[in-house]
Amino acid sequence: MKVPCFLQKQVSCPSCKTILLCTSAAGETVKVTCSSCGLVGKVTFDRLFDASSKVVEIHNLTKTFGTFTAVDTLNLTIFKGEIYGLLGPNGSGKTTIIKILCDLLRPTAGSAKILGHPLPCKSVMDQIGYMPQDTAIYLDNTVHENLLFFGGIYGMSKEQLEKKEHEMLTFVNLMEWRDSLVSTLSGGMKHRLSLACALIHEPTLVFLDEPTVGVDPELRAAFWGYFESLARKGITVIITTHYMDEADHCTRVGLLRQGHLIADGRPNELKEKTGTRSLEEAFLFLTGRKQP
Amino acid sequence: MRLRRTLAFSRRALLQFRHDRRTFAFVLIMPLLMILIFGYTFGGDVKGIAVEVVNHDTGIPSGSSLLLPDGLFLAQNITQHLDEDILSVHTNTDGEAARQIVREGKAWVAILFPANFTQNFLASLMTPNTVSSPKIEIYLDGSNPTIVAAVLKEVTQSVQTTLQELSASLNISEVDMPIAFEQVYAYGGGETRFIDYFAPGVVCFAIMMVTTMITIILFVNERRNGTLQRLLVSPASESEIVVGYALAFAMIGVIQSIVVLVAAILLFDITIVGNIFLALVVILLLAFGHQGLGILLSAGAKNELQAIQFIPLILFPSILLAGLFWPIESIPSYLQPLSYIIPLRYGIDAERSIMLRGWGISEIWIDILVLIVFAVLTLSASVLLLKRKN
Repeated sequence: MKVPCFLQKQVSCPSCKTILLCTSAAGETVKVTCSSCGLVGKVTFDRLFDASSKVVEIHNLTKTFGTFTAVDTLNLTIFKGEIYGLLGPNGSGKTTIIKILCDLLRPTAGSAKILGHPLPCKSVMDQIGYMPQDTAIYLDNTVHENLLFFGGIYGMSKEQLEKKEHEMLTFVNLMEWRDSLVSTLSGGMKHRLSLACALIHEPTLVFLDEPTVGVDPELRAAFWGYFESLARKGITVIITTHYMDEADHCTRVGLLRQGHLIADGRPNELKEKTGTRSLEEAFLFLTGRKQP
Repeated sequence: MRLRRTLAFSRRALLQFRHDRRTFAFVLIMPLLMILIFGYTFGGDVKGIAVEVVNHDTGIPSGSSLLLPDGLFLAQNITQHLDEDILSVHTNTDGEAARQIVREGKAWVAILFPANFTQNFLASLMTPNTVSSPKIEIYLDGSNPTIVAAVLKEVTQSVQTTLQELSASLNISEVDMPIAFEQVYAYGGGETRFIDYFAPGVVCFAIMMVTTMITIILFVNERRNGTLQRLLVSPASESEIVVGYALAFAMIGVIQSIVVLVAAILLFDITIVGNIFLALVVILLLAFGHQGLGILLSAGAKNELQAIQFIPLILFPSILLAGLFWPIESIPSYLQPLSYIIPLRYGIDAERSIMLRGWGISEIWIDILVLIVFAVLTLSASVLLLKRKN
């Protein structure tokens, strides 16, 4: 599904420096041939998001567990239609942020707003999809029963559920396992079902805590394709990951280290700013552990 | 078999205990608790059975008989020989009032001596086979066979002791016992067998154990698997989660008790005189309350292994203190007050009253009320527990 909105971008040819005008849709990558020297290259258009609509607003948020500070005075705004990646090593505070935004943890200091409502707010919960780090599905029920249950607690009607179940099972490639007990599925299948359970009620804001851990490369690419299609529909996706290479799919990433947001911006921006070729190098540069 | 490899297993298991102090403590304290609890409560004699004594015996006043210059008050003598430890005797002057107390379940037995008891005794002693022997009416709540047996044994013994003393003082050889017992049953008709008595208890006990354990394990799994987090992020409220599960287990509880009761009726021919629907309502309440208890206890267990440690904690007090097998009167008196804080006691009491005595809601409302309060308290505490956030 593509948005009917075309953008123009000026690029200069790396070899002959000719200025070229490219046209494509937001979020797309197009092949461009230089009109003077014939060099073929790729131009990526940034994905668009609605900067006027703030979906998540975090203000001076701090969370401590005893003497340990998991999140330290975090300020962050995420807009509608973004795929925002929270990046950082284990223990950098990614999951804590997600849990606070889902109202599973209460902040020690500071505040957060979700879809315009200050937390805690139960009434926005039906618009939120959450996939925890644990598989978090019922092992003693079938695939179908799990989807039925999670759809049910969001008040979906039987017809809605049937339609959506079909769509989700096709997406996560579990159609032929529909009536299998979850405990008999492989780890990757459980993971896919967990994602389907988080998305079945068509949320407008989705929190995915490390959704691609233990997922094979082929399926991982499919996942990202789906997340991008969600974003194009105006759904905001917030993802945590410690796979830096994946984060290039995000419209924006926040690099976290020991509870601090050390950088925030578009992946290309961060790479350009640090003069590095990958986000991994950018992260190491920003933490002072690597020279460009 | 290689020793080194074998010992590696032993060492790993022992090291695990070092990390899980609670399980280690459980291993040590559990048997100690068991010996204490069983030692103090198991197999004790029944004590303090509430008894109403109605003595209308006019006796033979002193000086009115040559044979007995000091007079004779046989009923009084028998009453005095009743063991005060075993029977908690209350004297009543009105026979019908005493019977009513038994019917209301406030006393187990009424012992009634007629007006001409001593005179009849003497007459039948002098001229055997011509006069009908004197009768003691024993008006019994027969719903508890253990108590019936204890009371009958105690009364028989007192009569024998009294007669032995009498024959010794009159200097005659052993008298044949010319005293008859007329047993009248308020409930149970004297045919209550042990199986009749404990079937209602077993139903309650099974519901309690199954509901509590399944709920603990279900919620430990909800926490461990992360599904609970997902539920808390959904629009479902904490009370919807608790009540939703409570309804499911109540339904399982009802099916379970129907199966147990049908089996008990078909295989053991147990009697149910009361309203079976009221019996099921009690089961439902019991299931709701223990569901709440299970959720609360689940907060204290990190895994299934720790959940299992709750079994003895709920099992032993119920078996020993709730009057499941032995009447509460057989527990040492200083432990008896503990039985009041065990919800199962009220469930068992209500079920027995319904099935054996045929009582209705007007007689067992206290039990029902306690079970409702227990269910409301534990379920609302569970909701609060789920709402608690770090």
